[in-house]
Amino acid sequence: MNRPEIIDESGDKYKYGFTTDIEADTAPVGLTEDIIRLISRKKEEPEWLLDWRLKAFEFWQTMQEPTWAKLSYDKIDYQSLHYYSAPKQKVAPKSLSEVDKNLLETYDKLGIPLKEQEALAGVVAVDAVFDSVSVATTYRAKLAEKGIIFCSISEAIKNHPDLVKKYLGSVVPYTDNYFACLNSAVFTDGSFVYIPKGVKSPMELSTYFRINAKNTGQFERTLIVAEDDSYVSYLEGCTAPQRDENQLHAAIVEIVVMNNAEVKYSTVQNWYPGDKDGKGGVYNFVTKRAACRGANSKISWTQVETGSAVTWKYPSCVLQGDNSVGEFYSVAITNNRQQADTGTKMIHIGKNTTSKIISKGISAGFSNQTYRGLVKVTPQADNARNYSQCDSLLIGTNCGSHTVPYVENRNRSAVLEHEATTSKISEEQLFYCQQRGIGEEEAVSLIVNGFCKEVMQHLPMEFAIEAAKLINISLEGSVG
Amino acid sequence: MPLLSDKTYLYTELAQEKGVVLPTPKTEAWKYTRLRDLLNTEYQLCPSTDKTGSLPPFEADVIHIGNGWVVGELPRIEGVSLSFITETMEKTQHPFALMNAAYLTQGLKIEISGKLKRPLLLNYFVVPEDKNYFYHFRNQIICHENSSAEIIEQFTYEGAVKSCYFANIVNEIRIEANAKLHHYKYQNEAFKANHIALHKVAISQSGEYESFCLQKGANIARNETEIALNGEGAEAVVNAAYMMNGWATLDTTTNIYHYVPHTKSSQLIKGVIGGTAHGVFQGRIHIAPNAIQTTGTQLHKAILLSDEAEIDVKPELEIFADDVKCSHGAASGELDKEQLFYMRSRGIGEEEAKQILINAYLTDTITQISDERVREWFKILITG
Repeated sequence: MNRPEIIDESGDKYKYGFTTDIEADTAPVGLTEDIIRLISRKKEEPEWLLDWRLKAFEFWQTMQEPTWAKLSYDKIDYQSLHYYSAPKQKVAPKSLSEVDKNLLETYDKLGIPLKEQEALAGVVAVDAVFDSVSVATTYRAKLAEKGIIFCSISEAIKNHPDLVKKYLGSVVPYTDNYFACLNSAVFTDGSFVYIPKGVKSPMELSTYFRINAKNTGQFERTLIVAEDDSYVSYLEGCTAPQRDENQLHAAIVEIVVMNNAEVKYSTVQNWYPGDKDGKGGVYNFVTKRAACRGANSKISWTQVETGSAVTWKYPSCVLQGDNSVGEFYSVAITNNRQQADTGTKMIHIGKNTTSKIISKGISAGFSNQTYRGLVKVTPQADNARNYSQCDSLLIGTNCGSHTVPYVENRNRSAVLEHEATTSKISEEQLFYCQQRGIGEEEAVSLIVNGFCKEVMQHLPMEFAIEAAKLINISLEGSVG
Repeated sequence: MPLLSDKTYLYTELAQEKGVVLPTPKTEAWKYTRLRDLLNTEYQLCPSTDKTGSLPPFEADVIHIGNGWVVGELPRIEGVSLSFITETMEKTQHPFALMNAAYLTQGLKIEISGKLKRPLLLNYFVVPEDKNYFYHFRNQIICHENSSAEIIEQFTYEGAVKSCYFANIVNEIRIEANAKLHHYKYQNEAFKANHIALHKVAISQSGEYESFCLQKGANIARNETEIALNGEGAEAVVNAAYMMNGWATLDTTTNIYHYVPHTKSSQLIKGVIGGTAHGVFQGRIHIAPNAIQTTGTQLHKAILLSDEAEIDVKPELEIFADDVKCSHGAASGELDKEQLFYMRSRGIGEEEAKQILINAYLTDTITQISDERVREWFKILITG
């Protein structure tokens, strides 16, 4: 079993804690209408988008920060954040060789082998987001051949305004919730994917998010549209440099899936979780939602959540089309003082819709974790079917694990099942491993990996390896 | 005693007067229980009555409670000391328990010190009239060390009902070391009535509490059980069944707190919902830090019989200790078509076949009742 390579002097095990020194173009602190106008101007946005942002901002000011989640964190001062920060680059790069060397090195440290990928010939296309602006996009030509649009959302706003205008906010309207509303007002960048009719994406699309400039709230916005009979698998991975101030991250992912189309969205989230006393760490408030608009459409969310000091995240499926399918596979690991309130929502609207939820939670140290999910069957959703399974594993006596599923059934033909269990690692299993010469820590990681297997096998290959490593790193020091 | 005259009172105004914040649709613990009808009705205090409700088919010591007032003298029962209460045992934040304390009609203190041979039946009965009546009744049940008892609560009414009434019941139950209490309840209020009941149970070392509640009536009904397992070896069984074909909201809510190691709880709740009725189940198992070696299980199942029926379920686990075994399950669906077909193909009519399946489905929860006579009684009640 591999041990983590970097253990710094403070005893923290966060492998990706470093800062890249690049001159950033940063807006003044605070959030006002002027800042929003500035963001919009900097990004050379059309009038309608600015109007939309301003409407969102106006609405946001009337909203209250939600308090229902089992999370406790210092009040966020939204006026003390920078809302715009872009790496300064004089000319937009045309190829990887033109990209800032520092940046490339950062990615190398993170283990995103941009160049290697190029060499590997078409395995993964990366739209690397560095802070708020996309700096490098690979394999665009190959995708363009197929008619696939894969670019930053800012570019999409410029080059495909009709598509963006049609779908932006159609799944997550700006009135949706506090953090989504904030995002709508101030989002700086993100990814846009458009898969035309009948096209199966020839490769997995991937974006690496990375928070960099000091005190910058990250407000990513991703929009994926899969037209009839199309397929795409999208990977999102996150790591963040180590910092003492809490960093705010309020992203939105919107996915539209039309007839017979399928979208697979995988995430490995490894933002900085704070040190072992809970100092620092990222606040992660994410709204992710997919609308299965077409018949026989399918959306599958897979997530591995190991990072962030505070996670608030409920990837949802709105199953509007008849026979549409929603899936949610999740592994969440919290250690030290981390807190996570995460789960999913399955809204059954179309007939014969099915959904499946598999959630595995592992709490260690002093952390607290909550699965919060909703399965809702509307009156017209005949023959809806849901199966939910939430298992929790507790390591140590000071952590907490909670399960709060909501099931709302308005249709008698629906068959809904929910199961949840909570337990600790069985002494017998541990004993069995130790008897065979496997150390305690290693044995725990073996058992935990086995516990998560059901979810991990839904991850694409590249992620599965990274995720298994992450699980081991996350649980370091939780035993013995 | 309450300062109420013949005047009618809007319930929300009464609450305001006492500074009680009644739940709104945004209150998490009440989000599925639609209380609008209950809160926006004007009530007046129930006058006492001499009429009494019918009795179940087994021998029991009976206290008749008509319109929220004890009828006649309190009986003398060996091993039991009965008196009227003068104050509440403990503070609570529960909005309806607060209202109950503020506008108490009457309350009984039931102290059990021996092993009771016969069940004690609290036979609640309402004789509704044209006016909207309400009553607030409270029992303090103290099971002293090594005692054992069986208490049955029955809620029925008389005649055709044009008006609505509201029964707000609180039971404060204390089970001391090695004591045992079986607590059964049958709720069959009038179809326009509202019924809110809170059972607050504290169990000491090796104490046992077994409960079963069948809800069949009322317009809005909630049966809420809050259990604190305070002593090692304490055990609680909270089972329930509900069935409704009208338009009612039937709510079963449980909150079980495991505060110490080696405690055990189990819950089995089943419901059958037809018409435009609305079933609600909210169940929480809470395990405090260090309450290791605890077991908490919970299973809720519901069947929907009609297109307009609704079911909302929120089973919850809140766990702060690692060496525990906890699980919950929830399922809902309709009657098994194959089973129906099987019976129909053997010449059983559709309605009858459905009834047989429903009975079999609910009987599951009833078979766990320890007392055979009570078990048989509930079996009859679910067929009616």
